[in-house]
Amino acid sequence: MRGVPEKIMIIEDDPVIRTELETLLRGNGFLPCVVTDFERTVCQVKDEDPHLILLDIKLPGKSGFYLCSEIRSFSDVPVIFVTSSNTDMDELNSIMLGGDAFITKPYNTAILLAKIRSLLKRAWSGRQSEGLSWHGAVLHPEEGTLEYDDRKVELTKNEQKILYYLFTHAGVICSRADIIDYLWDSRLYVDDNALSVNINRIREKLAGIGLTDFIRTKHRQGYLI
Amino acid sequence: MSGKQWLKNRIPFLLTNLLCMASLSAFLLLGGNTRDTIAFILIIWTLILYIGLSLSFISAKRRYDRLLRMAEGLEERYLIPEVMEKPKRAEDQVYWQILKMAERSMLEQVENGRRERKEYREYIEQWIHEIKTPITAIRLLCDNNRSDLTREIMGEVEEITQYTEQSLYYARSENTQNDYLIREIRLLDVLHDAVADNKYLLMQNQVVLELPESDFCVCSDEKWLRFILDQLIVNAVKYRSEKPVIRFLAEDMGEYVTLSVQDNGIGIDAVDLPRVFEKGFTGQNGRNVLHSTGLGLYLCRKLCDKLGIGIKIESTGTEPAGIEPSGTESKVAAPAKGESSGTTVTLIFYLNHLIHQVQD
Repeated sequence: MRGVPEKIMIIEDDPVIRTELETLLRGNGFLPCVVTDFERTVCQVKDEDPHLILLDIKLPGKSGFYLCSEIRSFSDVPVIFVTSSNTDMDELNSIMLGGDAFITKPYNTAILLAKIRSLLKRAWSGRQSEGLSWHGAVLHPEEGTLEYDDRKVELTKNEQKILYYLFTHAGVICSRADIIDYLWDSRLYVDDNALSVNINRIREKLAGIGLTDFIRTKHRQGYLI
Repeated sequence: MSGKQWLKNRIPFLLTNLLCMASLSAFLLLGGNTRDTIAFILIIWTLILYIGLSLSFISAKRRYDRLLRMAEGLEERYLIPEVMEKPKRAEDQVYWQILKMAERSMLEQVENGRRERKEYREYIEQWIHEIKTPITAIRLLCDNNRSDLTREIMGEVEEITQYTEQSLYYARSENTQNDYLIREIRLLDVLHDAVADNKYLLMQNQVVLELPESDFCVCSDEKWLRFILDQLIVNAVKYRSEKPVIRFLAEDMGEYVTLSVQDNGIGIDAVDLPRVFEKGFTGQNGRNVLHSTGLGLYLCRKLCDKLGIGIKIESTGTEPAGIEPSGTESKVAAPAKGESSGTTVTLIFYLNHLIHQVQD
């Protein structure tokens, strides 16, 4: 649906966090690659040439600070420091050594993903994500519009985010709780009732451009497009 | 120094003098001297004795008063042997030696206590950092496998995170060193992050959120501010009413920017209100609602003081039922009162020259 997924390198020594981060990033349309051999991290960064690096400070052998300054000597790739020690000395150090962001554990995944997206957008602004399409309907998240049969309809922020979630999970039943979860992660604090209202409004708008029965309600399960 | 006591201590000396006077008088009387001569000698003797005693009292009084003043003026009084000069009198020298010994053992004790506390604090901070790795792992596991069960777990994990953060800030608030980084931050960003920290808590309690329309830049420490807002959000949920609403308001007052967290919860008793920022104070609400630590607002106040943020709290608690005349009327009036109850905590960011509205 998008162009080439951005490659994100995970430099983290806790194995559970490493694999789960990998799953999380893959699930959100990124291409994760992990470092397991901390002896030759810098070489791996050179080989893989990622779009962004998630870097833990406390690593076996060399510290994340040292790695960051090593990486900075040959690359301007965005680096996010991810660490559990949140003293301001560490934060200051990370900025001095060229880190682009500093996130403390236990992080909120929504905040982490938002930071990743905004950094990628800033660093690689040339990339444009295209519209999402499903059964002839095209969603343009940048414009906030939905197109069908050469007819366009304007969407509010809530509607656009709901549709975006449904489009990225096209063909799969999306539970109401999952959608609300996603909306909260997108800083839209919508409750169960408001979701129903929004879905109804979307249906009306879609009907206005001749798209009926696009969003189907699965009883007790959720919505499906 | 009491003069009476000083004189009492001189009784043996005075008695000796009296004895000497008596024996001299007897000797002179036997030697055939007139009573006048003896009286004259005794008067002179008494006079000299009086003057001598007075002088030595005055000088002693002056000396000891000076020492007392010195001790009272000291921040750490146990250091007095360091500043006083070595006394010249034999008895005083013994006391001085004792003081020196006491000081040394005291310093050792203080140093031990200090070291133990430091070690303990370091251990706590270390522990908190360690515990964050598994918490992060749980969060990621839950986020990658979203279901109703993981949502429940996430609610609990949020609470664990809250308590861990609280203990970290508590451990740090005792520290005199100021561990913060003042930068220009957007209020709305911090607000969204604080809401995200308590996402499942808010969702599970069906809290309606109202965020401010306009965004402001303030100069502050992002982490600390987020922690303060976390505490305020948790409080608003903890002392909620039937249909909880949390309203965040940001206002530019010219000289300063205010950020208010307003809820429609059960409110705080007017009697308790002045004391809510005290350490360990739980008040009436603390007795009604479980899990009141009395630490949340205390820490908020302490961190605000360090960051130079003003903090004030207003509340319209439900008034005691006894004031209303009993009968049907008061029952009708009660729901309206309940609705108007609630607590507002306002943070005030001064530093007017550094504030400006974000231009989007």
